[in-house]
Amino acid sequence: MPNQFLAVEDARISFGQGDARVRALRGVSVAFERGTLSLVMGPSGSGKTTLLSLLGCLLSPDEGTVFVDGVAVNELSASEKTVLRRQKISFVFQAFRLLHSLSAIDNVALGLEIRDGKRADKMVMARELLLQFGLGGKLNHEPDDLSPGEKQRVAIARALAGNPPILLADEPTASLDAEAGRNICQILRSQVDQNGKTVVVVSHDPRWKEFADRTITLSDGQMKPQAQGQHA
Amino acid sequence: MKLAWQNIFHDRARFLATVLGVSFAVFLMVFQGSLLVGFLEAASRFIDASDFDIWITARGVQAFEFGATLEGRVREMAAGVPGVVETGRACMAFAVYRKPNGKQQVVALVGADSNLGKRFPVPELVETTESRSPDSILYDASDRNLIEVASLPAEVEINGHRANIDHEIEGFGGFLGVPSLFTSYRNAAHYLGFGPEDGMYILLRVGKEYSVVDVQQNLRRRLPEVDVLTREAFAHKSRMYWVIKTGAGSAILTAAVLGFLIGLVVVSQTIYANTMENIEEYATLKALGASRVFVARVVLSESLICGAAGSVLGLFAVVPAMNYARSLIPWIQTPWWLPLIMVGLSLLMCSLASVASVRSALTVDPGRVFRA
Repeated sequence: MPNQFLAVEDARISFGQGDARVRALRGVSVAFERGTLSLVMGPSGSGKTTLLSLLGCLLSPDEGTVFVDGVAVNELSASEKTVLRRQKISFVFQAFRLLHSLSAIDNVALGLEIRDGKRADKMVMARELLLQFGLGGKLNHEPDDLSPGEKQRVAIARALAGNPPILLADEPTASLDAEAGRNICQILRSQVDQNGKTVVVVSHDPRWKEFADRTITLSDGQMKPQAQGQHA
Repeated sequence: MKLAWQNIFHDRARFLATVLGVSFAVFLMVFQGSLLVGFLEAASRFIDASDFDIWITARGVQAFEFGATLEGRVREMAAGVPGVVETGRACMAFAVYRKPNGKQQVVALVGADSNLGKRFPVPELVETTESRSPDSILYDASDRNLIEVASLPAEVEINGHRANIDHEIEGFGGFLGVPSLFTSYRNAAHYLGFGPEDGMYILLRVGKEYSVVDVQQNLRRRLPEVDVLTREAFAHKSRMYWVIKTGAGSAILTAAVLGFLIGLVVVSQTIYANTMENIEEYATLKALGASRVFVARVVLSESLICGAAGSVLGLFAVVPAMNYARSLIPWIQTPWWLPLIMVGLSLLMCSLASVASVRSALTVDPGRVFRA
């Protein structure tokens, strides 16, 4: 495989046993180039989230190999995977997954705390990130006081805190209206263009095609022939 | 740590419910523990109050409250055993007490020689500015309503003999359900109709240069018809009799054990439920790259804060409850170490329950964090 920055090679994984066994991925091989935004599409149950979990070191394949920043993560222990995830990977979730008791700025600062607990300027950095996403007036608002679009922007700020090179997003616009969704698409696209991030988005939302460098379609745990994204 | 505090302050209702759960558990454990400890202490109070090393009792006596008379020669023979440097006598029996108003009341009459120890309730040893006859009678403050003397001194009758009650003491309320009166051994023996040389309990002090166990063995050989016990052994025997062989004692022991177990279960269940409320957030932390130590520290901090707050509230609640209970149950006791142990155990259970509940978050289930 030529590019092992972020890739899975012949990945196979099943869940359950006997009649209830589900083959979530059946020999998927795909590489994501550094500094690109890739869109993974496919119907429900096609294996999109499982692929994202493999790339995020949250799952290990039954067979095949996962590469993150050139490292074959299959060989790593659970704690080594945690360290790799902390240093290289961040997530954006459909349900935002903000900590409900923390303010927007504290949520972002927590992302920094997890990645670099000794860092002294956590609050300054968190404030800068939120200002960058137009949330200067909502720094001390708790998640319950934010709109869905604002929540997702806080979640992206948290994901970018500590500057991880890889961002994995699971249906990041599914809970948002059209305008807020487009705003999130633009933010993630700008992270690729301006900061060289590698972004993988799993989504049913066709708007992403406009922002993606390429689109990968999964069906029944297998990859369909690839298509170039409109952005490319 | 900040996250733990923020979680607590954000959901005050849940925090309050958790704290109330823990405080109820601590209250229950301390209260039930106090009943058991107080009962055990009361069961051997007179034995523990003596300074003597060895007690001689009639064969088969199980507790101080149920003694039988010994012949006078027993004391003489015991005094002749090498190592015995001093002897004393004590007795306890039920008697009929006639109050100043003419009403009758059964009482437990305790008599003892004045050399038994400074803590023993004997008229000559009670510190007071007044001069006191060794034959005067004392009663415990908790029995005031049953003794019914309007002022002191008061003339009363015990087993038909005139007696003089002249002082009130504290700390010797019993669990027998009848008031206790205390006087000299000579006086008690007179009221109870003992022979002049008879005894009920012969107490022996052993010289410092002798082994108590050796002297005990020697006494057993010379006095095979009686029981010869160290003070500690007789106190233990008395406590075990009351707590194991009597229905009331068994009920108190059972209630204390159940209270302890229920308390621990309540603490565990309360903290477990509290932690599970935030399990999705702990899973998110783990997905974001937080180490197990980081997540465990947050969970433990939150649990221990809840545990500590609940313990403090429980202890604050138990103080007035104990004061009130003491007016009804004079023998209830809360030694200083009991709340410490119960709070320590509660905090331990908080830690174990929170760690047990967060285990699932420490091994992140991707389905959990990606679920909408």
